Amino acid sequence: MSDYAIKINNLTKRYSGLWSQQPVDAVKNLNLEVHRGEIFGFLGPNGAGKTTTIKVLLGIIYPTSGEAYVLGKPAGDPQNHYQISYLPENPYFYDYMTGREILHFYARLFGIAEPERSRRVDQLLERVGLSRAANQPLRTYSKGMLQRIGLAQCLINDPQLLILDEPTAGLDPIAHIDIRDLILELRAQGKTLFISSHQLSDVEIVCDRVAILHKGELVRIGKLEDLLSGGYVEMIAEKVPEAVLEPIRQLGGRPSLHDGRLVVEQPDDGSIDRVIDLVRAHGAHIISVKPYRRTLEDLFVETIQGGGRR
Amino acid sequence: MNATFAIAGATFGEAIRKRILMVILLAALVIILISPAFEPFAGRGQRTLILSFGFGIVQLAGTFIAIIMCTGLIPTEIERRTIYTILSKPVQRWSFVVGKYLGAVSTLAFVYLMMGMVFMIVSRIALGEFDPKIAQGLIMFFFQSSLLAAVTLFFSTFVSPLVNYFLSGGVFLMGNLMSSFLETIQRNPEITPWTRVPIQILTVILPNFANFNIQNPIINPEQVLTDEVAYLIQTVLYAIVYVVLLLVASILVFNQREM
Repeated sequence: MSDYAIKINNLTKRYSGLWSQQPVDAVKNLNLEVHRGEIFGFLGPNGAGKTTTIKVLLGIIYPTSGEAYVLGKPAGDPQNHYQISYLPENPYFYDYMTGREILHFYARLFGIAEPERSRRVDQLLERVGLSRAANQPLRTYSKGMLQRIGLAQCLINDPQLLILDEPTAGLDPIAHIDIRDLILELRAQGKTLFISSHQLSDVEIVCDRVAILHKGELVRIGKLEDLLSGGYVEMIAEKVPEAVLEPIRQLGGRPSLHDGRLVVEQPDDGSIDRVIDLVRAHGAHIISVKPYRRTLEDLFVETIQGGGRR
Repeated sequence: MNATFAIAGATFGEAIRKRILMVILLAALVIILISPAFEPFAGRGQRTLILSFGFGIVQLAGTFIAIIMCTGLIPTEIERRTIYTILSKPVQRWSFVVGKYLGAVSTLAFVYLMMGMVFMIVSRIALGEFDPKIAQGLIMFFFQSSLLAAVTLFFSTFVSPLVNYFLSGGVFLMGNLMSSFLETIQRNPEITPWTRVPIQILTVILPNFANFNIQNPIINPEQVLTDEVAYLIQTVLYAIVYVVLLLVASILVFNQREM
């Protein structure tokens, strides 16, 4: 059994232009590995190539060059689809069906027969909190309820790999938390989750590793703890003489002094203790010391606006 | 096959809830119901009026429903992205295409059953007799619409619904007229081979929808179909073979399609 839930080698997807239009590379030479059992965040601004990559993984479109493997088999192999599930962004389902009927429909696509089908449908309706609305047509469902039914259809086959495109987009805070908890519960069961999302705060909470795609190219990939290391500590002090500025700079800090009030941004590497000692030694009064952790949003903005590979 | 039938069931369920299709069906049923009232204005025998009116309405409604329903069969699924949740399951593309077609044909069967029942009841009450040949004529129209549905489904794998309306409508018109047009041309010695041969080729390629129009011998009993049973079997087989060929072509195109 392959160690990777997803393995992508030099994947390029080019859309040919009509007539005089130039061909567009939606994804360029993408190399990516997603380990089994992890929650992987697949990030990027609109048009970065995330959905194109997902469509290749599902066999809905074909790569121009390169290869993609899902659970050890070539992407798009319908036999593989017994083990995977997909939730598209803003999912639409046959809205004349009830919640129960749509789950029966998807279960039939897997060939799940009765009475097992009914058992799974009831269990999933309970799990996503839609038992009471199970017999209502989907057209009466709110966005949050549709997202829940979308997740339920993802789980009907008890998949090993779930590919979720914007699973929490447009949800109210309660639904947001419920779906986030469900994602964490799935990881605890050993499932692999590949999540494409713009909700960076959610990604930061649930993901083990992330990749950032920009203009079709992979610009960052790694464990969240590694990517987000390197925060800083802000210290504010009063009655500080100018003489402390140079020693602080030598310790790697960025001091600014106005009318005796000092603000220092010091790397989060332990050197703040020496800065505090230094400032106290000069008779200054420390007002506050506050650590600032680097967020995924900082990393994302820095990566995309910087535009460069790191 | 479970997946194919599940897709067919969903397609049927959605089609019979489409307002435009049900409005056409309802209008057809109302017109068939009130057709005996037109007798004073018709200047023809009551039998001729009721049968020609009924057959005409059934064929027209069946044609419109087949085209309107099938133009959106695949483009709508792509536009709404329902296709992604289906093709990401263990569903082969051929199974999706066949399922959509079976759903469309089931809808046509339902529509023809409704119109046929009303048509036969009206003709039984107005004419005082039940002519089983009416059912024969309706069944041939059902096969005609099913063939038209396959043509429209084929186009829907690669063109937009708007273009498809004109393409399918054009093929249906030409498929109804080509054989009589060809006969006229063949009788005229002045037509050059440069004109005749392309028309002969078109006649072979385009489905011959005129074959299914057997209402005239039913309306006018003095007209007789020679070797009727063989003709009906041959025409139904023609429809089935043509539908299978169109489905294979649709699957080949859809397999290459990127969504």
